[in-house]
Amino acid sequence: MYMPASWRSRICRGSSDATNELLSLVNFDTGSVVDTLKVRDAKDVEEVVRAAIASEQPLEIIGHGSKRSIGHAMATNAVLDVSALSAVTSYEPNELIVTLQAGAPLADVLSLIDAKNQQFAFEPVNTAPLLGTPVSGTIGGMIAAGLAGPRRIRAGGARDHLLGAHAVSGFGDSFKTGGKVVKNVTGYDLCKLLAGSWGTLSVMTEVTLKVMPKPEAERTLLLRGLEDAAANKAMTAALGSPFDVSGAAHLPKSELRAKVEGLGDIAGQGEALTMLRLEGITASAAHRAGSLRELLAPFGTSTLVEDGASAALWAAIRDVVPFAAGGALGAWPVWRIVCPPASGAALGVQLARETGGDLIYDWGGGLIWAALPPKSDAHAPLVRTRANAVGGHATLIRAAEDVRRMVDVFQPQAPGIAALSERVRASFDPKTILNRGRLTRGAAS
Amino acid sequence: MAIMMPASDQAVLARRAEIIAALRAIVPGEGVIDSAAEMRAYESDGLTAYRQPPMVVVLPDTTEQVSLVLKYCAAQGIKVVPRGSGTSLSGGALPLEDGVLLGLGKFKRIREIDFDNRVVVTEPGVTNLAISQAVAHAGFYYAPDPSSQIACSIGGNVAENSGGVHCLKYGMTTNNVLGCEIVLMSGEILRIGGKSAENSGYDLMGVITGSEGLLGVITEITVRILQKPETARALMVGFAQVEAAGECVARIIGAGIIPGGMEMMDKPAIHAAEAFVHAGYPLDVEALLIIELDGPKIEVDELITRVETIANACGSTSCQISTSEAERNLFWAGRKAAFPAVGRISPDYLCMDGTIPRGALPKALARIRELSEKYQLGCANVFHAGDGNLHPLILYDANKPGEIERAEAFGADILRACVEFGGVLTGEHGVGIEKRDLMPDMFSEIDLNQQQRLKCAFDSQGLLNPGKVFPTLHRCAELGRMHVHAGKLAFPDLPRF
Repeated sequence: MYMPASWRSRICRGSSDATNELLSLVNFDTGSVVDTLKVRDAKDVEEVVRAAIASEQPLEIIGHGSKRSIGHAMATNAVLDVSALSAVTSYEPNELIVTLQAGAPLADVLSLIDAKNQQFAFEPVNTAPLLGTPVSGTIGGMIAAGLAGPRRIRAGGARDHLLGAHAVSGFGDSFKTGGKVVKNVTGYDLCKLLAGSWGTLSVMTEVTLKVMPKPEAERTLLLRGLEDAAANKAMTAALGSPFDVSGAAHLPKSELRAKVEGLGDIAGQGEALTMLRLEGITASAAHRAGSLRELLAPFGTSTLVEDGASAALWAAIRDVVPFAAGGALGAWPVWRIVCPPASGAALGVQLARETGGDLIYDWGGGLIWAALPPKSDAHAPLVRTRANAVGGHATLIRAAEDVRRMVDVFQPQAPGIAALSERVRASFDPKTILNRGRLTRGAAS
Repeated sequence: MAIMMPASDQAVLARRAEIIAALRAIVPGEGVIDSAAEMRAYESDGLTAYRQPPMVVVLPDTTEQVSLVLKYCAAQGIKVVPRGSGTSLSGGALPLEDGVLLGLGKFKRIREIDFDNRVVVTEPGVTNLAISQAVAHAGFYYAPDPSSQIACSIGGNVAENSGGVHCLKYGMTTNNVLGCEIVLMSGEILRIGGKSAENSGYDLMGVITGSEGLLGVITEITVRILQKPETARALMVGFAQVEAAGECVARIIGAGIIPGGMEMMDKPAIHAAEAFVHAGYPLDVEALLIIELDGPKIEVDELITRVETIANACGSTSCQISTSEAERNLFWAGRKAAFPAVGRISPDYLCMDGTIPRGALPKALARIRELSEKYQLGCANVFHAGDGNLHPLILYDANKPGEIERAEAFGADILRACVEFGGVLTGEHGVGIEKRDLMPDMFSEIDLNQQQRLKCAFDSQGLLNPGKVFPTLHRCAELGRMHVHAGKLAFPDLPRF
């Protein structure tokens, strides 16, 4: 699909040379020809969105496109590409903040802050292994997806670390929200809405994020051979202890799971493994590991892994490596189910039994990654029924496009919440210009 | 009164008796208060310079009653101001002459304690401290600890996104709430989130938190609880220059240490506090830091040593380390009593609440000294140093003509300076009416329009807590039109109040 001539002329700015920078034709793997508008600054974003409004042409917003396969197909081939907005605006380690353009590559930013021994405490998920993409995406994508790793239970999610943003709404206007300080209650906290909005509210152009010091040491206690229910209880006991557990995950016994990278020899082949992480200054992490080991003695004898080996383990859990696209279960649909943590095992065991699927529990049972055997509806009715029963919700993170056409990728909301959410969305983007149809099945047209 | 509220609707006031009767039909008995004497208790909140009796006070005790009251008011075009314990420092619960004051004080029950999922489900009128007390027997607590925690309600905490001394390490209210039951102005009852770590769809809980009672009335809240740290110890460190104290704070954070609390007081605040509580504060210093480390004993002991080393390297002139709970509490006693202590040395004071980047502290304090000269008013500074949240206390005497106006102008200049230095107008007290007219110093017309459009998504008639947060009221239909573009002031003909 090509944009109408009027569209092209509206996005021109300055000399005709500028037009060439702004427009390029890219043929993506989908086979269709896509008009990609590679913007250079926030002003470009405004102009593109305004042109889109005028020509009633929805836009797909991408950074590196690493998470394009999450959600429903969008009713457009006009792509607004923010990957050129990749600058680090400012990094102030002593203020514990970093301000970045939305297209800054996540991997580069992680290296940058790592050099100052800092991190994003919510452990953003690198979806590349799970989705089989070559890159881990941009900062904007990280926030728009809002996928947090194991430390979510202690440090919160992306929404808790986004302090401020500049964004262009579906009105074609640049606005800012929040600020560059941690403590701020000035006006509505629109950052919370932007995080996890999958690009449907505004196009973020610049964001300020909180960074935190990396822990000096980490220790992970390993319990082997636990049934899911017992593991859930062990994790509940650990998280209810004063030992400041920063990761609580469980890999059930599984015939399906081969040895995977990061888990190395630790997880063995398909053996049940429960992991509990302690971080902090060395003496403290070691001390708490000792105390936690005593507390968990009724669940069995635990062993310890330290620092590098521990970090590799948690990276594998964070990135759902056992279900990697290139692995044995690479063709299986993968659900991300969030539920009250103490209900995790009951939900997971039932689901695994009913579908023959494989699971990873994180967040002490509050997050379940479920790889289920291929089926045209990815077992959606069953997954949603079981998740709803315990007050949880499920997102189909990985599935083929024909499956995503069949089922709701994102959890359908109760009618009142759905109506309010739609009014909220329309307050940012009344013409549904941005990522139209990504969140709701059948809404693309 | 420097702040103007929206004009009263005379047609509503003329129907007062009828409205009261209708409200009595919804909330029977003592739940509707209409006598001038009894309503006096509700005419102000913690921002006591502003007073306004409401048209009527309604104290429902069920969600259904809240829903029916709001539905009735929406149908009749009557404004509603929600109120928790009335401890807001920004006038968030200031009544309107033609509005219903909707008090949530009867929602006092903790509905569920769930240790396995580490949450408490509570009604909004429960005090912040009562939640911690209800779970203390199992070693748990609710982390955000605004200094009014004995009195302030958890519903008010959600409305204001309250902070506290410990939010540097444990986050503000928004980082510690998971779900709520909320009644929209239409009367519609919605449940958002629950016991899961995150909700599906847009993060409505996140935007409701800190919305200052403009989006809905909260009737139930699910909060996260944490295990209490094993131990806590504090250092009290004096500095001959404010700059050195600021450097010390930066180096502690730079060393990767996030204390449970890190507070600074300047000389006037130190002297006022010491005279009041005799905490043993050094009187010959320009700045005092109270730094609290919490966690396992082995960790706290180690970090105390590291912090002491940093403080020495920054040229501290005194350094005391608590060796007992009694001593730790004594260190805090002066800081916690700083506001009343200042109240003893000045007939009146205004408490400001800007946030600045930590590094801008010396600049900000220098500016405050200049402004103090300019306005000929004293100022004592207490400061959540760890997160850059500044609380200048401007000293004035309301009985002296012109002093309140000078104090307010001084305060406004401080907050403008906070924005100028890269900070924000309010760190934890909220915008309310107090900072409402300063919002354009931080946000453009476009920024504010986007926020007000969000308000419209929740309350299309603008009946819930109008006159707070936003300096200009817009009709939702106007805001929704696509004619707001950069460079043009939208709706220049609408009245500002």
